[in-house]
Amino acid sequence: MKDTPLSNCERQFLLKAVEEKKRVDGRQTYDYRNIKITFGTEYGCCIVDLGKTRILAQVSCELVPPKDSRPTEGILFFNLELSPMASPAFELGRQSELLVKLNRQLERCLRNSKCIDTESLCVISGEKVWQIRVDVHVLNHDGNLMDAASIAAIAALSHFRRPEVAIQGRDITVFTPEERDPIPLSIYHMPICVSFAFFQQGTYLLVDPCEREERVMDGLLVIAMNKHREICSIQSSGGIMLLKEQVLRCSKIASVKVSEITELINKALDNDKRARKEGGKFGFAESMPKERITALKKDEAPVEMTDVQDTANEIISRTEAQPDIVKVPSPVVPAPGTGQVGEGLLNTWGLEEEEDEEEEQHEKEEMSTGEVMVLSDSEEDDVVILNPDANKPKRLEGGSKKGVEAPKKQKTSH
Amino acid sequence: MAAGFKTAEPLEYHRSFLKENCRPDGRELGEFRATTLNIGSINTADGSALVKIGNTTVICGIKAELAAPTVDAPESGYIVPNVDLPPLCSSRFRPGPPGEKAQAASQFVADVIESSDVIQKKDLCIEKGKLCWVLYCDIMCLDYDGNLLDACIIALLAALKNAQLPEVTINKETDLAEVDFQKKNRLKINRHPTASSFSVFDDSVIIVDPTAEEEGLSTALMTVVTDEEDRLCMLHKPGGSSLSGEKLQDCINRAVMRNREVSKLIDKVMESVKAKK
Amino acid sequence: MEVELCPILRSFGSEQNVLSRPDGSASFVQGDTSVLAGVYGPAEVKVSKEIYDRATLEVVIQPKVGLPSVRERAREQCIRETCEAALLSTLHPRSSLTLILQVVHDDGSLLACYLNAACMALIDAGLPMSSLFCGITCAINTEGQIITDPSVQQEKESRALLTFAIDSVERKVMMSSTKGSFSVKELQQCIAVSQKASEEIFQFYRDSVKRRYSKIM
Repeated sequence: MKDTPLSNCERQFLLKAVEEKKRVDGRQTYDYRNIKITFGTEYGCCIVDLGKTRILAQVSCELVPPKDSRPTEGILFFNLELSPMASPAFELGRQSELLVKLNRQLERCLRNSKCIDTESLCVISGEKVWQIRVDVHVLNHDGNLMDAASIAAIAALSHFRRPEVAIQGRDITVFTPEERDPIPLSIYHMPICVSFAFFQQGTYLLVDPCEREERVMDGLLVIAMNKHREICSIQSSGGIMLLKEQVLRCSKIASVKVSEITELINKALDNDKRARKEGGKFGFAESMPKERITALKKDEAPVEMTDVQDTANEIISRTEAQPDIVKVPSPVVPAPGTGQVGEGLLNTWGLEEEEDEEEEQHEKEEMSTGEVMVLSDSEEDDVVILNPDANKPKRLEGGSKKGVEAPKKQKTSH
Repeated sequence: MAAGFKTAEPLEYHRSFLKENCRPDGRELGEFRATTLNIGSINTADGSALVKIGNTTVICGIKAELAAPTVDAPESGYIVPNVDLPPLCSSRFRPGPPGEKAQAASQFVADVIESSDVIQKKDLCIEKGKLCWVLYCDIMCLDYDGNLLDACIIALLAALKNAQLPEVTINKETDLAEVDFQKKNRLKINRHPTASSFSVFDDSVIIVDPTAEEEGLSTALMTVVTDEEDRLCMLHKPGGSSLSGEKLQDCINRAVMRNREVSKLIDKVMESVKAKK
Repeated sequence: MEVELCPILRSFGSEQNVLSRPDGSASFVQGDTSVLAGVYGPAEVKVSKEIYDRATLEVVIQPKVGLPSVRERAREQCIRETCEAALLSTLHPRSSLTLILQVVHDDGSLLACYLNAACMALIDAGLPMSSLFCGITCAINTEGQIITDPSVQQEKESRALLTFAIDSVERKVMMSSTKGSFSVKELQQCIAVSQKASEEIFQFYRDSVKRRYSKIM
């Protein structure tokens, strides 16, 4: 499927609006869209809505042998996927440039910044460590995938709890969540990406570009920062040239935004923890808005079962098998290891011209002789089944046009 | 002239036969094609079977290997089925990674093995947590003329019955497995599942054992797997036009009868091999 | 064998038009199982995949963790054939319809939830259909009781799991996928139970669509 291309007048409209410091959705230049974070029932599942962009992140863990170069550290694995749902341009199985770029940026932001303590993931040094796998799915693409993906990933990692293990010598017992409470990962800091879109060779900038703005921008600057004002990674793409003051200005804006977003994530985590402790309902089912006109919810309801038994019995009795077809056709065994049943359509490997009854009689006669059996007398084909023990090759059907008297030697299925 | 009509209007051609309650190849609506079974033809495999239902030809080979059991099931071995539809069997399959039909068939066979409990996985375990048998069942279609799933299940069951595994013991001192190729045991088969496929034409007529042409023109396909106690192991109807409860019941009754036919065939063939020995 | 029947349907809810990019989208929640569906179409189709007299329907199921496996392909085939039977695809020849399903959380009866989300997304996209369909999962536990809409715990303890797709016109069975072994009587009972349960779900579809367009009509 192809994405609809951007028309020239739309492009000019957007660029003109940027020059006048106006945005299509009414935001200011430094405003972020509304961020909504919801967690699921299982630990480590998180959906982030950045305006209309929606991203799902899931964290899972597994015990694996560690890498040879780092026997005492756990493994972090990131996988970002652009679901075909997100945009008609995303196709399944295609490694597009955007996908590679987002994956690399996410890895740099979360793995190289060492925000997660991998040493604590080691169980038995050199033999078994935890592998933490983060799968990020992009569900709706309305711009600024990088920011939303980083928020989703770090929120999911903070929400995740891994099972507790007990080590006795070389044996490892993994406890289920019912036996012992799972423990959270140790996270040092939360790096969050902030994206800046540049227009007109760096003259104008916008924070958190939406999809239309991303299409007409000249270049993108992504700064990953945590709330302690430490820069974790900077990436500039698009080939625009920026001045030192511009980059410093962006980093100042980024630090303000990052502290706001980090507070939002922590608040969401606290709400979720409180809901779980008090036994209230949590998860995606609860977070569905009830007051919207497009949403509807129905409570648990029993299914009416008044005459189900009778209906079922009636159907069975009505369609009882006819008793006169009790006799099951008996199979024919022309040779040890081969059998045939049924008189329906015979196969076309040999062009049979004789009647079926003749063949069957032949088979019954020759069953006891053992060595060579001719299944059909037709001139066209030469159906021969040889005794497998005599180590002669088997040949099921011939196809020769001329009549053949002696069996031809041919290798069969191997 | 009939050939011309068949190419131009295949659906009308088939409909005109169905009106007379028969099919273009002369069968009744509820008649299966001639089923031929041949076992033990592959010497390099631990068990093998070749099945022909009409023209559809399917061969199954079983290889047993030793492996460590998975962490969550330390007392069971496992069975890994794989259905392959090479470009040899029909022009509709292209070379390359397995297409959807092959993958769906593999999943179907795996589900039948699990649902019908054809082999108790615990029987495949040699030493708890350390060693178990893994049975790789490779099913390959050599000629595709409709009704692939039935043939796969018959081939699989016959090959499992034919398979012989060498005896394996664990040497207590060296902690290694010792394989004794002289002593061979057959697998213990719990249940004998058999599949019967049906196709629905025009939402009303149900025919049994469709050929490839009939499959292409049908509005729905269905496969019923029963075992020897007349219990259903699987009712596989991947979409298509809807069927009422009564029609389903008719199909199930036919499937039960087919089960008896096929069990007799397999038993007789197995006996003939044993008698020779 | 006397079977005690006391099945319930978990609380379910759905939201339409959840995503802005797809032509139709819906999220369906059954208990804790949550599925998101998006539909694109009718759109341009690749020449290799085009069919001259009908629309080409493609179904993509995305698991949450890892790459799609053989199990997803088998499910895709089930859902695709069900949708093809319900859609009037001859109205859009040489075009493509793509249905994408993403599982958000799996707490049992996943295939049924896929079907329900798919149907709601197709309604939201406004594609012409000859009938609606809904999915119901029944589990038969070791005592022979029939449980509808089982959770993951109930599914693990059951000895058979049956999923049916029921159509809205005549309440007949469009699709069936089963696991485990069961008797013929149990099968017919499950079908009858599913038909009864489907009434609830079809009424729910009706209510959601009525509510959605209540301000317009």
